[in-house]
Amino acid sequence: MPRDPKHDILFEPIKIGPKVMKNRFYQVPHCNGFGSEKPFSQAYFRALKAEGGFAGVSTEYCSISPESDDTHRMSARIWDDGDIKNLSLMCDMLHEHDALAACELWYGGPHAPNMESRCVARGPSQIPSDFEFLTYAIEADKDDIRYLQNLYVAAAKRARTAGFDIVYVYGSHSYLPQQFLTPYYNHRTDEYGGSFENRARFWRETIEMVKEAVGDDCAICVRMSTDMFMGEAGTQLKRDCLPFVELCDDLVDVWDINLSGIAEWGEDATPSRFYPQGRALPWQAAVKAISKKPVLGVGRWTNPDLMAEAINDGKLDIIATCRPSTSDPFLPKKIDEGRLDDIRECIGCNVCISRWEIGGPPLICTQNATAGEEYRRGWHPERFTKAKNADNDVLVVGAGPAGMECAMILGKRGMRRVHLVEEQDDMGGTMRWIPQLPGLGEWARIVNYRKIQIDKLKNVEFIPNTKLSAKDVAEYGAEIVIVATGSYWSTDGLNGASHATIEGADASLAWQATPDQIMGEGKELAGDSVVVFDNDGYYTGVSMAEKLALEGKKVTLMTPLGTIAPYMHFTLEAPNQHRTLHRLGVEIVPYHLPSRVEEGVVVATHVYDEEGHEKSFAADGVVWVAQRRSNEALFRELKDSIGLDQLKAEGVDSLYRIGDCEAPRLTADAVFSGHRLAREIDSADPSLPLPFKRERRMVDDASVASEKAEYAALYAEASLS
Amino acid sequence: MSVLVVAEHLRGQIRDVTRELVTAGRELGPVTVAVIGQDPGSLVDAANIDGVAEIVTVTIGAGEFENDAYQAAVEALIADRKPRVTLLGFTVNSMGYGPAAAVKLGLGFASDVHGIALEGDAVVATRSFYGSKVNAELEFPGADGVMLLLRPTVWAPAEGRGSASVSSLEVAAPASRARHRELVEASTSSDVDITQADFLLSIGRGIGDKENVEMFKELAEKMGATLSVSRPLVDAGWMPSSRQVGQSGKTVKPSVYLAFGISGAVQHLAGMKASGTIIAVNTDPEAAIFNVAQYGVKADLFDVAEELEKLY
Amino acid sequence: MKTVVCIKQVLQLGDEVEFTDDGLDVDPDYLDPALNEWDSFATEEALQLRERLGGEVVLVTCGSKASEAALRRCLAMGADRAIRIEGVARDPFSVARALAEVVSAENADLVLCGVQSSDAVQAATGTALAELLDLPCAAVVTKVDYDAGARTAVVDRELEGGLVDRVEIDTPAVLTIQTGINEPRYANLRAIKQAEQVEIDVRNAAGGGAPAYRVRKMFVPDRGEGAEMIDGSPAEIAARIASIVKERLV
Repeated sequence: MPRDPKHDILFEPIKIGPKVMKNRFYQVPHCNGFGSEKPFSQAYFRALKAEGGFAGVSTEYCSISPESDDTHRMSARIWDDGDIKNLSLMCDMLHEHDALAACELWYGGPHAPNMESRCVARGPSQIPSDFEFLTYAIEADKDDIRYLQNLYVAAAKRARTAGFDIVYVYGSHSYLPQQFLTPYYNHRTDEYGGSFENRARFWRETIEMVKEAVGDDCAICVRMSTDMFMGEAGTQLKRDCLPFVELCDDLVDVWDINLSGIAEWGEDATPSRFYPQGRALPWQAAVKAISKKPVLGVGRWTNPDLMAEAINDGKLDIIATCRPSTSDPFLPKKIDEGRLDDIRECIGCNVCISRWEIGGPPLICTQNATAGEEYRRGWHPERFTKAKNADNDVLVVGAGPAGMECAMILGKRGMRRVHLVEEQDDMGGTMRWIPQLPGLGEWARIVNYRKIQIDKLKNVEFIPNTKLSAKDVAEYGAEIVIVATGSYWSTDGLNGASHATIEGADASLAWQATPDQIMGEGKELAGDSVVVFDNDGYYTGVSMAEKLALEGKKVTLMTPLGTIAPYMHFTLEAPNQHRTLHRLGVEIVPYHLPSRVEEGVVVATHVYDEEGHEKSFAADGVVWVAQRRSNEALFRELKDSIGLDQLKAEGVDSLYRIGDCEAPRLTADAVFSGHRLAREIDSADPSLPLPFKRERRMVDDASVASEKAEYAALYAEASLS
Repeated sequence: MSVLVVAEHLRGQIRDVTRELVTAGRELGPVTVAVIGQDPGSLVDAANIDGVAEIVTVTIGAGEFENDAYQAAVEALIADRKPRVTLLGFTVNSMGYGPAAAVKLGLGFASDVHGIALEGDAVVATRSFYGSKVNAELEFPGADGVMLLLRPTVWAPAEGRGSASVSSLEVAAPASRARHRELVEASTSSDVDITQADFLLSIGRGIGDKENVEMFKELAEKMGATLSVSRPLVDAGWMPSSRQVGQSGKTVKPSVYLAFGISGAVQHLAGMKASGTIIAVNTDPEAAIFNVAQYGVKADLFDVAEELEKLY
Repeated sequence: MKTVVCIKQVLQLGDEVEFTDDGLDVDPDYLDPALNEWDSFATEEALQLRERLGGEVVLVTCGSKASEAALRRCLAMGADRAIRIEGVARDPFSVARALAEVVSAENADLVLCGVQSSDAVQAATGTALAELLDLPCAAVVTKVDYDAGARTAVVDRELEGGLVDRVEIDTPAVLTIQTGINEPRYANLRAIKQAEQVEIDVRNAAGGGAPAYRVRKMFVPDRGEGAEMIDGSPAEIAARIASIVKERLV
């Protein structure tokens, strides 16, 4: 299909300093958990986006010194030759696709806990980080300032050697250069603090020095937060950002424009729950209005019409994405080929970000099961090998996220016939009602995308309105049976805190309900007050509370945990969710576990009260968000009552289960489990995931010998004292 | 070239499609309108439209439409008047007997026709194929006469009073093998199943804020339409996905699809372009929905909606 | 009782189109075959009649070997046997004549066709077939009330706007079946595999008789032939919209 001419502007090249970007699609720095120490995972992840048409791809934040060590969180590092070598793989692979490689030089100052390096950071003033615990920096003197600036220069040179085309002097959301700019972080009274010129001095000098060092070979990019939304203490658009742009415009080759500080950087990496795409546009436009250089910026961009509009309206020059490039690395190519309904749109759940926030794990993506698996499992989101056992028919029971994904990938792998059978009248499973929770409308894209793809696959048939018994499944005629029947919320109060049910808990009663019943079955609770008991830890409890409060109920949200929805801290949704609940008058009761419920009252005890004093909470209704349980019945009947031998006699060679019906999990993981099974359906034992590649140093005789020799030499003169 | 138009009526009223047939027929030649019914005389006045040369009435036994009676009447009329072209509406009733008469009499035949041209003596009809994606020109070589079933609302209904001569034709009525018993009102379908609605009022991003949904909800109710939406409104959480029209929502084929503020993204069009009559109201003259709509309005949605509400 | 169901494998066009060299049809490479949506409802109706009244469900189609896929879908639903007629032109009268030869020999109690096919939308074949079989016809049927061996059936016809015309029709008869009359059953993989093995009775059309029409040109309509724009004041526009709506619904 031809490209829509309205989108032509997105494919016009643009000059950035000494370089040219071949189109307007750019992957702005974002974390993936791989850094410089998993170089293959890093390179394969980034290169895939270039293959998908991105004209520029950046590393994540890239530490320029051991003093800037963000452990437990994973950054890239460019400290030494080994890092140069490792990151050069990424550069080479990007260049193979004619994409520019960018390196975001980062120094965290007081935000970096340095838990691995055990070094100490330097910063503008000695005030502990608002983002990390127990982290203090040295208050930099003039020598420290020169030292810091030279760190940037040395790192920029290493980046150039590695092959990077674009080098950042990175300040967003509040890292070193921006800390100098911002009164909140900078209480200095010398020429590096106080007035705007003084506060801007460090950053401007650093840019000058970096430009002098590598500016002929590399484009210089400055990433800054236009406004930290912290009033006069934080960076402000008109007082600080725009004058800074004016001041440095001739030094900078491209501006990368953000919002917010670091403590609530969800105001920049906006969850779809609270913001539509393009939220930062007014700020980006403000910069573009006064700059003569190209401006790029994120906005969770998925709609090519809005992208083109932003450029045509003179608000942005380059469409930058992180999350949409992860949910679909082939976003540019699909727009170019007019294949808009093949785009796997970002849903703004921020589960990818949550992995970085937790610190350690590689990123995952709810929409794209291959994100993070490019190298370690060799998965390509747009390429599928024909299954060796393609001459088989498959029955997938249940069209929730796991079932849909599995059926779709099996279809793409050429299985002879795939029947996706669902008892409801449409695909989606619980993902049909989850997007109806307040703010989650974009999550429906999980279902929308798969529906369209499955509709296109000639070897996959979707059969709705059909509930299969175990006998029906056995006699269905499929050689491979995959059960994907999902999970339900416990109706008896069974929860992970007490590992017990709760006396009186029974969601079959009219005054009690689970989320499934309310959202999926339309059960309504009478009365004015409701207690929502939440031991889930993620969004279901708070979303139910919000929904019921919006309907006019007086809501008490009770949890045995110290805070509600702790996982939403990692998805950056917590601050605004708290604000919402506060505004709606939801009473939050932490550290409490119900000991029993009776009609009209929930009796609970404080989890740290050794004497177990009971407190009563008035409740016309109770909603149990206690824990989920797998819908195992069908699988158990197939495996236990009918048995694998009998199934084989009926022609069913293999029986598998995926997603929540195996064990409840994040939607991202349910989709992953369906994807994995489909990718490995022709392995020796598909029920067991194949080993994935682990990037690690392996011991060998030569290195053991040399390490031991080096250590021995070190202490040759020093005996035990 | 003489033209025979078979009038269609229901419950004592001439249906508007008849007037459209007159408009189309007028362009081809002198038009004879056949009024077939139990009391055709009562319909003659309404059939006397500007451009009609003559009206022929045929009296049948049945109070409403019956296949065999109409087929016999039309066959007799064709034998008597020998029209070059017989025009019927592409309607449920016509489907029941038109092709039967045509195949029996060896006429050329095409249905869902939306264009007619004359090339000398030859009739060329234009219709769509493959889900309306392509058009085709059809000819009818060797046929003495041609029967065409015309797509409703393509030709404007003829207005004005005519001065047709009126006569009647006696037709030997065979016993009807399919006998009309009664008309039954449609059962009110559950309002959430938009695929069953015959009239959808659909809203898209162009309506602006969530608060505006209510006004279109009310308008839909007043007009007797079911409210449906395009994806952005579902994404934003303003309406449930059961109301969504589109490739990932529901595919609908109502008789009327009235769209406010919908630009016509490919995925949305895929879900509704088979609708009978699409009327699109949008401020953007480039909106893709105008490519599939039969009628377009480039005006402020709210002004138009306000005026519409006054009429109901 | 015996029900004959006439089905069609339709051809679906995607977003891209090229025409054959003679410009008379779309290039087959751009067309995807599928069972005509109406025919799955017709087949289901026949199967439900068989479940109630016993007997046989016989499928007949006009088409090339590729169209056997459509027959097998309906066989997988549970139809008893299938006949394919080769060498037939695609216009409704040519098809009706070919079907008539085969169907008349079956002496069915009811002959069911879909109201129309999704690729041609003529809504003519079933009615023409009825004429050639000299059987009564009811078109656009949404309900069938029939007893085995009865001389009549009562059927509902769905008129525009949803109004229903209830008709008593002599049987044997031809009914053209509307979508939504029932919920077509799914065929499981076992049934699909079994249907693959069924031998389909292939016949040749006798031919003869003029087609209903001849295509002289096929083309993509100009995009400019888009909507008829309604101008005027909002009040005038609203009035025109209201009249169009009324016209189309009554």
